[in-house]
Amino acid sequence: LDHGFGLPTAAKECLSSVASQDVPTPERPRGIFHTSESDPAKHTEQHEGRHYDIPLEEVKAVFPHGLPYRFQQQIQTFNEARVMVRKPALELFSYLRSSNFAHPAVRYVIYGERGTGKTMILCHVVHYCSRQGWLVLHIPDAHLWVKNCKELLQSTYNKDRLDQPLQASAWLKNFKTSNERFLRELKTQKKYVWGKRECTEEGRPLGEVVDQGLARVRMASDAVGVVLKEIKQQSQRGSFQLLVAVDGVNALWGRTTLRKEDKSPVSPEELTLVHNLRKMVMNNWSGGAIVTTLSQTGSLFKPSSAYLPQELLGKEGFDALDPFVPIPVPNYSPREFESCYGYYLERKWLQHEQARTEDGKAELRFLSGSNPRQLDRLAGPL
Amino acid sequence: MAAPIAAGLGRRLRELRAWVPRLMQVRWSRYNPSYMEPEVNKEFYRKPLEELSEEEKEKMELKAVRPIKAAPPSLSSSVFSDPMVSKFTNMMMKNGDKVLARSLMTQTLEAIKRKQLEKYHKAPENEKETIECNPYVIFHQALKNCQPIIGLSNITKGGKTYQVPVPLKDNRKRFLAMKWLITECRENKHRRTLMPEKLCQELLLAFNNEGPVIKRKHTLHKMAEANRAYAHFRWW
Repeated sequence: LDHGFGLPTAAKECLSSVASQDVPTPERPRGIFHTSESDPAKHTEQHEGRHYDIPLEEVKAVFPHGLPYRFQQQIQTFNEARVMVRKPALELFSYLRSSNFAHPAVRYVIYGERGTGKTMILCHVVHYCSRQGWLVLHIPDAHLWVKNCKELLQSTYNKDRLDQPLQASAWLKNFKTSNERFLRELKTQKKYVWGKRECTEEGRPLGEVVDQGLARVRMASDAVGVVLKEIKQQSQRGSFQLLVAVDGVNALWGRTTLRKEDKSPVSPEELTLVHNLRKMVMNNWSGGAIVTTLSQTGSLFKPSSAYLPQELLGKEGFDALDPFVPIPVPNYSPREFESCYGYYLERKWLQHEQARTEDGKAELRFLSGSNPRQLDRLAGPL
Repeated sequence: MAAPIAAGLGRRLRELRAWVPRLMQVRWSRYNPSYMEPEVNKEFYRKPLEELSEEEKEKMELKAVRPIKAAPPSLSSSVFSDPMVSKFTNMMMKNGDKVLARSLMTQTLEAIKRKQLEKYHKAPENEKETIECNPYVIFHQALKNCQPIIGLSNITKGGKTYQVPVPLKDNRKRFLAMKWLITECRENKHRRTLMPEKLCQELLLAFNNEGPVIKRKHTLHKMAEANRAYAHFRWW
């Protein structure tokens, strides 16, 4: 039994690592499981297992969509957004730092069992890249584009494809809030004709294309396609770096639950949004990186025990994404579990008297199996 | 309850086969009196031999020779298990769907905790101690506040039925409090609100001695007070 990771020993190793760094001076003393380093670029192995704070204004600017629902509830309850620094994220940062932007974009696939924290690691990477000044193309959940679509219109651009105005306009709205600066600076390379009377001239800022998509909801999917194409072309020049962050990338190559009016099933390539996104995820452009997550939770027609890339992507998806860098995300290590438990205690999330005892902690560890989602669900009513 | 298996001798023998339930019950109320109850509390087993009292020592000796009843599925050795919460969950359960009832209960407790914590984190320093954040404390206190002290019972005398004020047993008080809370949430709320939300609201109101359930308790007390004249009809 691993009793060596009880609080006293964890405290000693954390304190020794803190002493070797520059000592941060917080306004009020937080526990040893926190770090006041809120810039992800400066996170190193010393910060592993600790929680760092994202200021709430930044959360609204960087994550208009993309954070898991339970995490958003935690932000509202505790009045702060604290994310744990974990090893897969640090690994990704080192790869991104050392990547050569003249070469084609490298694809990273974050995979792991259910509830191990893949989406949170993706959000950590998105925060890092937005702090570094990259243009972040964050698709919060690709599964939302292949299921539960109330309106499917036939695309005006290509008769075989289907448009999804609601999903496209929602995504455009959130994209606008997170990347205002780039939408003003980047200019269109071509003239785009939206209808008989509307067109966007060459050289206009991309923000106009986004506004056009938001104003004319029927054209929103085409606006998304235009935005993606423009960004992809212009990132190769090297004026900015592009991060394509897709959560639940296995949705792009699976099946959909949507049906056409004659009740025949829709395959993903017939959807404009999915078609354009597949082109973004190809490695035929340079000047950035593609970080994706596999997700079984929202996936369609996949067994709940599937988590490996081959199982979730299928043959088509795996061949499309191959070659990629796989990044496995395990359950909490003993140190990370201690950190999470300490955070819950400190924020008074664990209210039950027995939760503070060693017995309670051992029971939580056993029942959750050190799985982050299970621990969160268990600690909810306690 | 043995099931004689028809060996394919004829349709009649197959039809004569006894009915066997799908779930074979292990724990009956018809246990032999020599069977002892299981001891689930971990603290009991951690105590060294010297600290045990006389009865406990006798019980430990008996356990070596007597058989023990099967533990019921609702008995838990978890440090977080609470008998009142289990009782409430059972009362909320419909059609035997304990999974749903339990998830509703956990969502209720979490909702109470979230609401109270939000208030706590936004309150100024001097008021922080007054805000109770523990959902279990709120639950127990709310139930205690809802329990009636005296109840009414129908007694027929001379052809007429009278509502006679009667003292209530502890179990009956607890049952009435839980029943009132659940019926109040099920019936008198907007159709689209979810049960955890409704329960959370009612529990917080009852914790502060406000709300429709406390009002119902007070009306019962007033009726009992009004019918004080018939109190001598009670013979127990």
